[in-house]
Amino acid sequence: MIGTYVLRDDLHLATPPPHPSEAPVHNPNPLATTLSPPSAGTKLSLVVLSPRQQSHSRLYRVDTRNSTRSQIPPSIQEKLDETNSQASDAGSHSANGVAPSPLEGLHAPAFGEGNPLLSLVNGKDAKDPLKRRKPKSNIIKSNSSFVSRVIPHEALSKRLQEHSPNGLYAFANVNRALQWLDLTSPIKEEHMTKILFTKAHALCHDVNRITKGSNHIDFIMGFSTGDIIWYEPMSQKYARINKNGVINGSAVSDIRWLPNSENLFLAAHMDGSLIVYDKEKEDALFVAEDQATATEPAPNERERKVFLTIKKSVNSKNQKTNPVAYWKVSNSKINAFAFSPDCRHIAVLSEDGSFRIMDFLKEQLLHLYMSYYGGMICVCWSPDGRYIVTGGQDDLVSIWSLEDSMLVARCQGHNSWVTAVAFDPWRCDERNYRIGSVGEDCRLLLWDFSVGMLHRPRAASVRQQRGSIASATLKVQRSRTDTSTSRLRSNSNLTSASVDEEETVHPVEPRARTAMLPPVMAKTVDEHPLCWLGFEEDCIITSCNNGE
Amino acid sequence: MTSFFGRFKTGTSPASPASSNLLAKKDLHALQPTPLEKLLADAGPIRADGSDKFFGFENFGSTCYCNSIVQCLYYSVPFREAVINFPTRSPPESFERPAAPLPRLNTDLSHLTNGPNSALSPPKGRNSLSSPSQASPRKPVTTPGGTTNPPGTKPEDNKDSPEYKKKMAMAAGPVITMDYENSKAYSMSESLFTALKDIFEAIIAHESRIGVVSPSKFLEILRRENEMFRTPMHQDAHEFLNLLLNEVVENVEQFSKQRITENGNIDSNALWTTSKEPGPDRTSTISNNNNNNNTGWVHDLFKGTLTSETRCLTCENTSQRDEAFLDLSVDLEQHSSVTSCLRKFSEEEMLCERNKFHCDNCGGLQEAEKRMKIKRLPRILALHLKRFKYTEDLQRLQKLFHRVVYPYYLRLFNTTDDAEDPDRLYELYAVVVHIGGGPYHGHYVSIIKTQDRGWLLFDDEMVEPVDKAYVRNFFGGENVLACAYVLFYRETTLEAMQKEQEAEGLAAAKHATELNQDAVVVLGKQNGVANGHPLQHVTTPVAEKDDQFATLGHAATAPPIPHAEHNPLENIVTSIPILSPKKSNLQFKKEKAERAKQEKEKKAAGKEQEKQAKQERKEKERQAELERKEKESKRRENFRKQDEDLRQALAASKLTKTEEDKRRREGDTGNDTENEKEKEREKENGHKGLSRFRHSSMSLRHKPKFWPMKEKHEAEPKSDTEQQDPVTPGVETDKSGNAPAVAPDKPEKEKGKNRFSLGRKKSTFLH
Repeated sequence: MIGTYVLRDDLHLATPPPHPSEAPVHNPNPLATTLSPPSAGTKLSLVVLSPRQQSHSRLYRVDTRNSTRSQIPPSIQEKLDETNSQASDAGSHSANGVAPSPLEGLHAPAFGEGNPLLSLVNGKDAKDPLKRRKPKSNIIKSNSSFVSRVIPHEALSKRLQEHSPNGLYAFANVNRALQWLDLTSPIKEEHMTKILFTKAHALCHDVNRITKGSNHIDFIMGFSTGDIIWYEPMSQKYARINKNGVINGSAVSDIRWLPNSENLFLAAHMDGSLIVYDKEKEDALFVAEDQATATEPAPNERERKVFLTIKKSVNSKNQKTNPVAYWKVSNSKINAFAFSPDCRHIAVLSEDGSFRIMDFLKEQLLHLYMSYYGGMICVCWSPDGRYIVTGGQDDLVSIWSLEDSMLVARCQGHNSWVTAVAFDPWRCDERNYRIGSVGEDCRLLLWDFSVGMLHRPRAASVRQQRGSIASATLKVQRSRTDTSTSRLRSNSNLTSASVDEEETVHPVEPRARTAMLPPVMAKTVDEHPLCWLGFEEDCIITSCNNGE
Repeated sequence: MTSFFGRFKTGTSPASPASSNLLAKKDLHALQPTPLEKLLADAGPIRADGSDKFFGFENFGSTCYCNSIVQCLYYSVPFREAVINFPTRSPPESFERPAAPLPRLNTDLSHLTNGPNSALSPPKGRNSLSSPSQASPRKPVTTPGGTTNPPGTKPEDNKDSPEYKKKMAMAAGPVITMDYENSKAYSMSESLFTALKDIFEAIIAHESRIGVVSPSKFLEILRRENEMFRTPMHQDAHEFLNLLLNEVVENVEQFSKQRITENGNIDSNALWTTSKEPGPDRTSTISNNNNNNNTGWVHDLFKGTLTSETRCLTCENTSQRDEAFLDLSVDLEQHSSVTSCLRKFSEEEMLCERNKFHCDNCGGLQEAEKRMKIKRLPRILALHLKRFKYTEDLQRLQKLFHRVVYPYYLRLFNTTDDAEDPDRLYELYAVVVHIGGGPYHGHYVSIIKTQDRGWLLFDDEMVEPVDKAYVRNFFGGENVLACAYVLFYRETTLEAMQKEQEAEGLAAAKHATELNQDAVVVLGKQNGVANGHPLQHVTTPVAEKDDQFATLGHAATAPPIPHAEHNPLENIVTSIPILSPKKSNLQFKKEKAERAKQEKEKKAAGKEQEKQAKQERKEKERQAELERKEKESKRRENFRKQDEDLRQALAASKLTKTEEDKRRREGDTGNDTENEKEKEREKENGHKGLSRFRHSSMSLRHKPKFWPMKEKHEAEPKSDTEQQDPVTPGVETDKSGNAPAVAPDKPEKEKGKNRFSLGRKKSTFLH
């Protein structure tokens, strides 16, 4: 069942030296109490330019209740021999592995649809999809002190022309540098363009999957200074949003384009705010709007803890400037978030160990879970949107079910914190799921879980069951909605009780009642802690803290 | 308060205008409050429980191992309370008005120098300033700085250096010289425990909130009774922790035995029963507690139980054996986490070849499978990361620089199935950090989470607030000299954790908005820090700024700890009349304004610094304003929360207490005879000291050489050498043959070896 993976490439991106304007540190004091700015390991945003074809869509479970589809393979199978390479929409299922669902956008209304003020702005662009609007400033000629240097490849235009539409571009942040790479080029180690920023580090970035094309890529990145840059690499144009942190001054820990949106993207700031920006709009000093003032003193009220404060709603009448929406989710740092494939939900993880599921269209908090202990670090959705997988400082990969609103299993196997998780969309079918995870322990672990296995009665000791997770043996075909929930009620009093009382806040599940899952494969892939993981159809890409 | 205002007054005293530029600059720096002083600027009246005292500890030359551990223990709240309350707390009247001089102390707390009875000669070198001749706290700070700075260097150059800060701390004082001992007052004989109690009580009783303790008597006793700490060499902080805890257990037990023989059991118990707060459930727990009286508190806090399950592979018979521990020593792996180290600790291992298991069932040495799990979770989990590892190739200990991450919160995976509360939540509250390239030299500091002042760095004499994220700087790694060595986790609850995180978040948000108001890019600011203004960037998240409720707040957020048994003063503590913090704030402001005026008049010359001071004052005022607002809302919230939380905590503590007592009673009957036996055995062997708790420091990985493990043990040294740092510290090699058996110890310490040796431990239960 597990294919063999061989090391194909080992790219090492050089870490740039600190900018000359920064004072060099002589004889560093190991106890120096000065705060260092937030930094992040190298992450990648991958993009394939060719337009999508959904030939691989049958791998996804589109309709959860339709179990009669004949062509669905009964178990996970390697698809390496198939030549449906144009199907590989790597899009940007980067750190959180949001894989595109073929029906996305059909069910879910667009974000802010009810607000005519928003659609006005969007409408302007609709006339010609090939003529995308570009940012204003040229990054090469820029005299901004924010950007230190831009180094395009000497044969950039030639390489752009030679690039196959099915080829894979990657954007990688290394320290204060951002590199644009062509992973299908024979000289992939030579960057297409390298941007050096003066002091700020790009901590996160994303590519817009709607607007990408052979002559246009909308790329956004969030910085340790709070700034956000919208960058169009083909024309070397850029625009700076939240300049000097005018809207929110804390670092951006994660950033993603809103699904199916050309202009809107969501940024997670380290003070616990989620902010929707419009790439076209100007910044304006942000003042919390009326709703916020009403809910602001709420945290002081006893027992009425507010887990989501809407400081500016998407339905606000004031939509001339950024931000489009401003949600205060948590008081502690947001480490990551991920959009669900149905484009309705986001999963938000915080350093305080909380894990929220929000309906961002309605701007509502649906669920609040806690890690077993320690902060949560990474999150992703299963391709069908039914499961959410998180990783954190408890060394665990945790699987949560959206429908049953419960913790499904904890996966133990990492020897240190789990820094990235991703579903392998090419090896998931309607009942079986393949997850990959990497961690501070330098290892890549693969996990398989199947729907039938997950709902076995829980045992206090899962030790004996080790190795018997072979999903092929479990061919239980049943409609899930009725049995699984009733079983949940019967064997988990704690959960059901809390669901009745408080809809959203879920307690920590004790270890004795949770299924433990062992990995199907563990491999040390690097000598440095890993921080990012991405699945491609025929390979797994990992990256580590210092750009390898 | 007075003492640290005194410091400012020295600054305003006429510095001769003829003094050099350098001196004038110096003076100005002295005027700027240290980060700690800034942090405490809004503090209300001093509390009687010692939770708002922040004293550095003087270093007598490589005594940082002691300083770092004692600091950790001081801020282990239940431990501190137990120490000051055993056998009785010194008269409460001396604590109700802490400013009053303490008649029972036979030296003046702040002004006297090391007495002639001090056996410790002050060291030379970097600590020369701490020598007795200069210990006068009111001495103008200019003198030491001016004299020790080579004329060529600017004071700014090393202003950020710890050495400079330590000097300043020492010079600023007040210095509590602990060269006396007060054991008679507690009707105990002099011991490490009484010396520790002396230190704790002196800190709590002192009128100042900050200062330096000079723990000379404590060290004198330590060195008198323990040969291995006699050398002026670098010592192992974990070994010291272990020794100290065991000594305290022993001293306390000895005392109560004496007492029982002297007064009869009832009398001594009466003392406890009367001082209890009345409550129907309380009385029963107290009477339950009678047989081991008030002596068990160290065990109460630190003791956990390990169950070793051994399954004979021949007869499939499983035998169990419980062992107590006061701390856990875990082996490290490169790029791992504390969670993983603990799991590895409890992994199954094979007993085979020369390490076969004597099975009672089949009556002979057999191959067996063994694993150690935690049966009873300690309330305070002291985790020793075994960074000093014996390598056979080099015949000496080597420091492992492995990167081992530790979370702020922890649960244990390696519990037995029948363990009570196996999902207990622990929070990290203290980290002892070792800085240095090897085990035979270096420095120890501790980073401790205080009750309501966030995280502080305790580096000998210096105490400095640090950001919460600072705690994460000591995971270790290649070329990282400073790494965590002992981690202290204490039990807590999810609710307490969430409450605290809420407060932290609010504090951080407040700080962020302040930064924003300055309209400076965050990074630019941080760069400023590097240029020498760390004062503006103290962002220690403050959990609870409101002093009025801090004591109560503590009771509420603290884990359900049945500490009341050992705290006859609890009522008094909570009922102390407290001034409104607003008032003190005003006072403080007034005084500050006065001071500022004086400064202005005097220091027209140093205009630039003046500007800075202004900015700082502005910032401070703004902060004060914000804080006041927040306080008000917080107070309201607290009012409501307190009652309920307190009730909950009490109920929970009652519950656990009764259960624990029951267990203890059961356990004690069995354990006592065993302990007795062990003691006898030890006497025969001529070992004293740590005897009672030899098992406390244990790890399955450390197999003695003469019992090599089949696979694991043979693999170990190999991987060791691979991971070794090529730079080996210059150290004499060990000649003793069986040293490998005691890898966690230093080979020179012949005495300590047997105490900690697992080989011995094994032999006792394998036979």
